[in-house]
Amino acid sequence: MIKIWSMKKNEDAAAKRRPKTSAAQIRVQKDLTELELSSTMKTHFPDPTDLLNFTLTITPDEGMYKGGAFVFSVNINTNYPHEPPKVKCTQTIYHPNVDLEGNVCLNILREDWKPVLNLNSVLVGLQYLFLEPNADDPLNKDAAEELRKNREQFIQNVKTSMRGGNMRGVQYDKVIVQ
Amino acid sequence: MKVHVKNWHAIAQWRWDTGASDVDDDGEGDVCGICRVPYEGCCPSCKMPGDDCPLIWGECSHVFHMHCLLQWISTSASKQQCPMDRRPWVTAERKVDANAAR
Repeated sequence: MIKIWSMKKNEDAAAKRRPKTSAAQIRVQKDLTELELSSTMKTHFPDPTDLLNFTLTITPDEGMYKGGAFVFSVNINTNYPHEPPKVKCTQTIYHPNVDLEGNVCLNILREDWKPVLNLNSVLVGLQYLFLEPNADDPLNKDAAEELRKNREQFIQNVKTSMRGGNMRGVQYDKVIVQ
Repeated sequence: MKVHVKNWHAIAQWRWDTGASDVDDDGEGDVCGICRVPYEGCCPSCKMPGDDCPLIWGECSHVFHMHCLLQWISTSASKQQCPMDRRPWVTAERKVDANAAR
């Protein structure tokens, strides 16, 4: 005979142990189901039970960063969507809007964040940075200066950095795939 | 034929009058832009929908769960702006006339 009462008791105990699902988790769950990832973006959840921390790999298929694989960490805190996700590049890359520590300058990740935006907006915004690096609001001033003054040289520098080259004493990570 | 009604169940449905057309194209009601839960549901910090978790209308015609909007407005990052259009948030007395807003 199935012991229904003891089963129920076990269930209750399990529910107590399980931490309450937070508002942020519920919202992230909805965001993830609505995510429209193009073939140039991939998410990876190191801990499948933790939806609030994952990595995003962008492999641009056009533009000057084509051929590279850029890995970002995405950390969502429990105040989401009232606070933006924290996004960092895990590699040392040469980009006017990403500094050498991996901090990303993207308006919707900072001053222009609003809670009606979702993860899709963030991922599309990140992808856009690789298609259109923006010299006007730089985190890496040298890269921005080069992009503004000498676009050809900038493109050369991007290529050198992506191969894992060393420029001005900075060792860049090799991000070329294949 | 004589019919004798032994018992009956009354069923009622309610919906906030947001001024939007009754049902969206996808057949579902509108959701709060902040928590993405239907207006007729409740914000993540409430357990029961209804008068305890009401909606709030802005002069800009945007509608949210009151608790969601107040939480956003209380952050300094919000600059007291509507999360949809970034106009200064002004709570409307009652819902803005749907025809005037369009």
